[in-house]
Amino acid sequence: MTTTVEVLGFARGPDWLPWAVQYFFLIGVSCAAFFLSLPGLVWRLPSWRTLSRLALLAALISGLTAPVALMADLHQPGRFINFYLHPNFGSWMAWGSFFIPLYVGSLLLYAWLCLRPTLLRLAQRGGRLAVVYQRVSYGGHDNRQAIGLAALAASLGAMLLLLYTGMETMVVSARVLWNSPLVPLLFLSTACVGGLGMTLLIAALAGRRDIAPALNRGLALALAATFILLAAWFASALSGQASAAAEALTALARSRVWATTGLWFLGTAAFTLWLAVRSPQSLWSTALLALHGAWLLRWIVFIGGQSIPRMGSTWFDYSLGIGPDGLLGIAGSLGLALFLYVVLTGLIPWDERAEA
Amino acid sequence: MTCPPDPGRRAFLSAIPVLTAGIAAPARAADTRSPHWGMLVDTRRCIACQACTMACAMENATPEGAFRTVVATYAVTTAKGATGLSVVPRLCNHCEKPPCVEVCPVGATFKREDGAVLVDGDRCVGCAYCVQACPYDARFVNHETGKADKCTFCSHRVEAGLLPACVETCVGGARIFGDLHNPESEISKRLKEAGNAVSVLKPEANTRPNVFYIGLDAALAGRVDGVSAADMMWRPDHQGG
Repeated sequence: MTTTVEVLGFARGPDWLPWAVQYFFLIGVSCAAFFLSLPGLVWRLPSWRTLSRLALLAALISGLTAPVALMADLHQPGRFINFYLHPNFGSWMAWGSFFIPLYVGSLLLYAWLCLRPTLLRLAQRGGRLAVVYQRVSYGGHDNRQAIGLAALAASLGAMLLLLYTGMETMVVSARVLWNSPLVPLLFLSTACVGGLGMTLLIAALAGRRDIAPALNRGLALALAATFILLAAWFASALSGQASAAAEALTALARSRVWATTGLWFLGTAAFTLWLAVRSPQSLWSTALLALHGAWLLRWIVFIGGQSIPRMGSTWFDYSLGIGPDGLLGIAGSLGLALFLYVVLTGLIPWDERAEA
Repeated sequence: MTCPPDPGRRAFLSAIPVLTAGIAAPARAADTRSPHWGMLVDTRRCIACQACTMACAMENATPEGAFRTVVATYAVTTAKGATGLSVVPRLCNHCEKPPCVEVCPVGATFKREDGAVLVDGDRCVGCAYCVQACPYDARFVNHETGKADKCTFCSHRVEAGLLPACVETCVGGARIFGDLHNPESEISKRLKEAGNAVSVLKPEANTRPNVFYIGLDAALAGRVDGVSAADMMWRPDHQGG
């Protein structure tokens, strides 16, 4: 048997940084949370009313933070205009640059249309911001037709975003961990996990344990779908049906760091599923575990996927720095999400109990 | 009385422009025919001195730790216990079907008529999608410019009639650069002579590289199933020092 030692190898570090992980995580969370807002706010199902309003808040927070994280991952953020001046429509990323404003713009319109009656009620209460509320409410009409149209546009944007983020990753045949048709589906299922997790977190912050069972039921389903997709990926890798998956699995299994991270993900995801089923009243624990799982899958896919050598044998040993391209970037985008939460909940009552 | 011009002489004079144009036309056609640049790496001649790596870094002012070309070096031990040195000089393959061009969202990466795959630095947004798409790990984001960076076949030198820096400096003459369209070029002759002994990196990627190899160990033509000495050695960035 021939053995090879790479005496002099060259490993390149990841060029999609933790900012990219944040973007893919947050945009997935936002899209999934937006869909949770539809039953209560568009179809007006009474049992969904509270859940949908909190889900809309989750969609807004993560949907407004995600593009900032994406811009930060560009090494020339000031040139983002080139996406619109010189689009190459053969690239999924070029399409994504159009889907993002479609989604975020229609999400903002949808949220405003849904909130107009609330804003009018706030104006009628008086106070220093009454004039602002009055103006922003623009008459305070509850226009169901307009809400429906805005929701339709945002749904289209959300579906296209979920499609492009998965496809953009999947088509990169040079990255063996990414090059699987199961990747877009895994991004979709874990986006649902994250969206439910974020809504659970906001429900926990609002003290709305009454909506926990519905959210935990959805979380259990999303996690079950994730496990089925992961099982399919492992099966395709082990059976040799997918050479890229087989290569990726072999490579990751030989890396102590990434094998441990992968097992940690599987273990915590299984625990989250068990907790969601066995303890449907859980709020904080399932919320944080769900968010952790959705984020960690993307961390493994992006940072782990870029660590696997494409040429030669040398792995890039990624270590999370504390600077803007590392921990500060992650903390910064979460800080922006927290800021948006504080501003949005400070200005608008999202919980109907508070509004009353 | 003046004699009328001799019809024979008139015919001769009027034919001169046609004649000269006829002589010039093939020459002009040869001049304008676009070359198609390629490189042949004869690994049997490479001694892994990294002179090419350094010459490229000096010529193109790449940032510290980022290289447009490298010579990966392997100690390969056979089943019989014999250990030998194998090398894989690597650079951008200037593929005929470059995956980096397809994915670039703003069309900053393009393939020129002469075969070189280049980056329009004024358009590049530094999204690094091309870096992800390259199967050969040949691209990186230059953190000094914030743009995608890669081997250009030293286009600035080639346009001035010079060879790429790595070719110029190679002590063993392992890198041969030239016009693949010209059957009389050194590279075309060498490729023809080598016949089936010529190979490319990752042929399964189906990118049709324009960098060819002679003497390349097939096991080293892509991701190598082996260990890295870097993982076995002390490194100041990991262990301190």
